[in-house]
Amino acid sequence: MSVLLLRLAGPLQSWGASSRFARRGTEVAPTKSGVIGLLAAAKGLRRTEPLTELLGLEFGVRLDQPGQLLRDFQTARSLDGRQSAPLTYRFYLSDAAFLAAVSGERELLHGLAQALARPRFPLYLGRRSCPPAGPISLGVHDDTLDDALTHWPWLAAKWHRRKLASTVRLEIIRDVRPGEPVTETVPDEPISFDPAHRQHTWRTVLRRHVDMTNDLAERAGVNGHDPLSLLGG
Amino acid sequence: MFLTRFQINPARRNARKLLSSPHAMHAAVRAAFAAADDYARAGTRTLWRLDTPTTATVHLYLVSPGRPDLTHLVEQVGWPTSDEAWVTRDYDGLLTSLRPGQQWAFRLTANPTHSGRKTADAKETQRFGYLREHEQMAWLVGRADRHGFAVASQQDGRPNLRLHRRQTQTFKRGMGTVTLTVATYDGILQVTEADAFRRALTGGIGHAKAYGCGLLTLAPAPGSP
Repeated sequence: MSVLLLRLAGPLQSWGASSRFARRGTEVAPTKSGVIGLLAAAKGLRRTEPLTELLGLEFGVRLDQPGQLLRDFQTARSLDGRQSAPLTYRFYLSDAAFLAAVSGERELLHGLAQALARPRFPLYLGRRSCPPAGPISLGVHDDTLDDALTHWPWLAAKWHRRKLASTVRLEIIRDVRPGEPVTETVPDEPISFDPAHRQHTWRTVLRRHVDMTNDLAERAGVNGHDPLSLLGG
Repeated sequence: MFLTRFQINPARRNARKLLSSPHAMHAAVRAAFAAADDYARAGTRTLWRLDTPTTATVHLYLVSPGRPDLTHLVEQVGWPTSDEAWVTRDYDGLLTSLRPGQQWAFRLTANPTHSGRKTADAKETQRFGYLREHEQMAWLVGRADRHGFAVASQQDGRPNLRLHRRQTQTFKRGMGTVTLTVATYDGILQVTEADAFRRALTGGIGHAKAYGCGLLTLAPAPGSP
């Protein structure tokens, strides 16, 4: 089994799974439908075309730098100012970085990695206004999805790592395999991106954690300062 | 000298008053000493600080010349039926064992300030708090020497110092309002001069000592035996 690793980082990201109407939320991590859509855009698939081989990919993501939630309150009006659009809230993750992995056939993944290097349509992180910072593809590796997400170096920025403790627990959200206990379901399994008939189904996900050692941690002990320990408890 | 830890029950009604107003807490700390001599002696005074090691755990630390009696605090903001209402330990053993060259982890909540004139033609000078992180760091590093210690360096050469709980506190004092810039410093220090360092531990560092600033406490440095 091969795995294609992606670095999803940028000033803003927005990954919606269940928003309707005027309040457009974001998940805490990239969604499967968002990343499949990104790969389809790189390959130059139009929205009306079937996704076929992309539907069989297994997906997982590691939350390397969670970022901060940003709310954008929009009061759009028409050009002459007479009509106002509905007031909307749009939510973004700012300064976040994620390691995403898709696993599948080797040839398919190599094709996707090449497409990411020369994308046919512009690539964006969940919403058109959120361009990625730096190349997205980290290459195809002969590894399982779990091992790749566990062992790949931490993508968080230095300024973020300095603020954390010397060991950090990162969350991994990935597809559930048959036979594993179902923990959670999200409406995030894409079937078709056809604007006239967009379709998603339920995706079952599993959350696990991986511990990273943080060599940039500043050694001062913010936690556990106990002055009485010098005086016999 | 004595070091005392008292755990505040934040669910008690009076705790809100004490935790929000250093002025009220100062009065409560002062009331822990029947004899004036136990509260302040020549060269030493009572210092206090609030620590929040975990959410909803609030510790009040006291360093005082005499042994405090915190019964009134237990009744108002503590757990009256608990066996160990507060812990007081003799501080002199540690104070006499201080030697130049020792490394300690420390915590200090302080009021980093400088004084100056608000405008060039203002008659009076006044005190201003340092608000920026690098200024607050430089404040402590700059006055470490006269208090008999030096802040240790990290591998990258910057001082081994971390600031957290940087805030501007405002509270009522009588008819007026007091505004304080407060920052908590955590880091590693090295003792350079034992006598000056002892004075810093018992007399405090910086201004606003009545209002929970200036108390420097030590803990074992990580990695040291």
